[in-house]
Amino acid sequence: MLTLSGVSKHFGGVQALIDIDIAFEAGRVHALVGENGAGKSTLGKLILGIHRPSAGKVRLDGHEVAIHQPADALGLGLVGIAQELSLMPRSSVLDNIALGREVTRHGLVDRTATLKAVTGVMERFDMRLDPHAIVGTLPVAERQKVEILRALSRDARLIIFDEPTARLATYQAKQLLTLIRSLAAAGKAVIYVSHFLEEILEVADTITILRNGRLIRTGPAAAETRETLVAGVTGQNYQSQFPKRSVPPGGSAPVLRVRDLSSKGLFEGVDLNVHAGEIVGLAGLVGAGRSEVAHAIYGAAPVDSGTIEFDGKALTRRSIRQRIDAGMAIIPESRRDQALFLARPILENVSLPHLKRFSNWLGLRKRAEKQAVTASCADTSVKYTALGDHVDTLSGGNQQKILFARAALGRPRLLIADEPTRGVDVGAKRSIYEMIVRLAEQGEAILLISSEIEEIMGLCHRVVVLSRGRVAAQLSGQDLTEQAVMQAAFSGG
Amino acid sequence: MQTLLRFARAYGIVLVTVLLFVLLATTTEGFATLRNFRNILDQQSTVLIAASFLTIATIAGNFDVSVSAVFVATPLVALAVENATGSVPLAVLAAVLTGAAMGLFNGIIVARFRINSFIATLATSFMFFGVGYLVSGRSLLRPIGQDYPMLARTQILGLTSSTWVSFLMVIVATILLTRTRFGRNVFATGGNPEAARIAGVNVPRVQATTFVLLSTAAAIAGVLNSSRSLSAQPSDDFSFVFSVLTAVIVGGTSIAGGQGAVWRTVAGAFFLAFLSNGFNLHQIDPIWQRLIEGMVILIAVGVDAWTQRNSK
Repeated sequence: MLTLSGVSKHFGGVQALIDIDIAFEAGRVHALVGENGAGKSTLGKLILGIHRPSAGKVRLDGHEVAIHQPADALGLGLVGIAQELSLMPRSSVLDNIALGREVTRHGLVDRTATLKAVTGVMERFDMRLDPHAIVGTLPVAERQKVEILRALSRDARLIIFDEPTARLATYQAKQLLTLIRSLAAAGKAVIYVSHFLEEILEVADTITILRNGRLIRTGPAAAETRETLVAGVTGQNYQSQFPKRSVPPGGSAPVLRVRDLSSKGLFEGVDLNVHAGEIVGLAGLVGAGRSEVAHAIYGAAPVDSGTIEFDGKALTRRSIRQRIDAGMAIIPESRRDQALFLARPILENVSLPHLKRFSNWLGLRKRAEKQAVTASCADTSVKYTALGDHVDTLSGGNQQKILFARAALGRPRLLIADEPTRGVDVGAKRSIYEMIVRLAEQGEAILLISSEIEEIMGLCHRVVVLSRGRVAAQLSGQDLTEQAVMQAAFSGG
Repeated sequence: MQTLLRFARAYGIVLVTVLLFVLLATTTEGFATLRNFRNILDQQSTVLIAASFLTIATIAGNFDVSVSAVFVATPLVALAVENATGSVPLAVLAAVLTGAAMGLFNGIIVARFRINSFIATLATSFMFFGVGYLVSGRSLLRPIGQDYPMLARTQILGLTSSTWVSFLMVIVATILLTRTRFGRNVFATGGNPEAARIAGVNVPRVQATTFVLLSTAAAIAGVLNSSRSLSAQPSDDFSFVFSVLTAVIVGGTSIAGGQGAVWRTVAGAFFLAFLSNGFNLHQIDPIWQRLIEGMVILIAVGVDAWTQRNSK
């Protein structure tokens, strides 16, 4: 029904999708699997008109179509059910489903006829909801149904589900999978994007594996097993791109000691130690609470209970400022949203948390600042023309290194790196890995969060696996295998 | 195109101001005279004082409508104190402290309780106007001594003291913004508040400080204005903040926050001053002046919006 041929997409210098050929058929569930950044979501967004392909053709029923914006996709019957639901929380189920499709008479909305049309769709697909309930008061699973019903009432031909079960309890996830099968049975084409391999094997007819923007293979789900999928998703031969690991020093007291840390609805009872010179991985699936734990340790999010000790001193209730002064640094998950000032010079971006060092009663000592920033950028191999250049002129990899330069300027005792290689090219990845290992050799304690299992395996001395907000396993030495990490991540806490 | 836009954004206002200056100097009799320049500087002094610090608040990502109300209310406080005690230093001190307190009030509401700055300061405007009515007993106040009028009118090296104060305030605002930690934090807060927070910036405190500074500056402007005009009258007059904001926007400081400079605002203020002066000297109907001013603002905001979109 829908065919993509030779489709590529790049964002700036980053290749998100490379020469993809793929076909989706009516009545079938087609799953896309891959790591974060493999290109699954980007592929969905191309179909939905959120992004435009840089190259390649899209055909619907054999005719070439141009999908320039979301409205084009909707007009063709291509609909997405997003991770973050796009509903009007204060309106009723009815209004949400009928949005833009209200039945009108003489230019006015005919509520009775609209209600009839909506209940008709509900009955046809056996998804009964109270049409007058306010959407914001419904649980997530029900809200998802509202969104699916909206898609169906718009005569969707192809529905893309992007991580639909990430926020659902197990039994709700099961119900959703049943529903998705019934949509396929009703003749819809379904694209299913998920990290949960079990779900995929259960629901999909066809599976496509993506890795680093390339299509690795497409085949019937029956031919795949969990093991073949894991192998396909992670790829083989990855050890070579990682630098030689430092030997973790033993014995000393931990730099960071987290005990029984809980934040309602996000994570619970998390215990965690990081020693000087040690790289500890925080692994888990999207939504398992990794970034939330990191933010809590850094003081960027409140906790309900538990303690955080840093160098033997309790700082559970201290501000971010105090933690930075005590020697903590973070490289946040999203450099655009949480870290960088794109329209400001490199210099200011690097020195911001450490300005106290370059200030006296007369104001900033700009020469000292410039010297220190130059040195720090050299240490972290940032490539730039002038420190006065705005950060948005740099490539993704260099932007990421700016954050390492910022952290390094404070000579931290603990570095929390949250997805430090997201959206950077292979070369930059390699140098970031080297940087992390070097920092550990210099005695920094490092807490590394990564969705890429190969990063965790290639860099970490010890791995703490989170699953649904709880520590599912602590692995090191002989026990630290990819299999064990994946097992724990999928264990469901 | 991109670089052209960036250049226009960066130096356009200076270029346009210089062009206007040259145009007026060559075509308009009475423009390029020392007397006229002294007048322009004196007239613009109060706007410059407030606009320099509104620039800082704008860069930090906020807007402050209550500049007008502080400008109206604080000189009434000053004159009430002057009338009661006869002391000019005490009068000025009272006005400046009142301004600072009003700024702190704005700052707490916006930064701590996270209420949209436009709405919050619109609400506090009415409260501050009310303070003006209360302290003045709803009547026009005049200074009783000979010293108060001299605050703004003393001639120093051919310029009024009001002009000198505006120079000083422009320099103070510039130094704060470009040469201190506070200035860096202001840019960070306006550019990306979440990133600023993660980098250890106390975002609410930075925002509140910009409000305190701005209201203090507005109080100084208000006192100088009342000294120049020998009186202060309670009112609900919002016009001052619009002159001030116009200078900031025409200068090219982004209303989106995170970008801007005091020198831009100075250029914007003089562009508008030259424009108005030119119209006056040619005795053109002021209605045309309004139309042109409106267009100038739209062009300035349009350039800003365009560059913002292109940088995304």
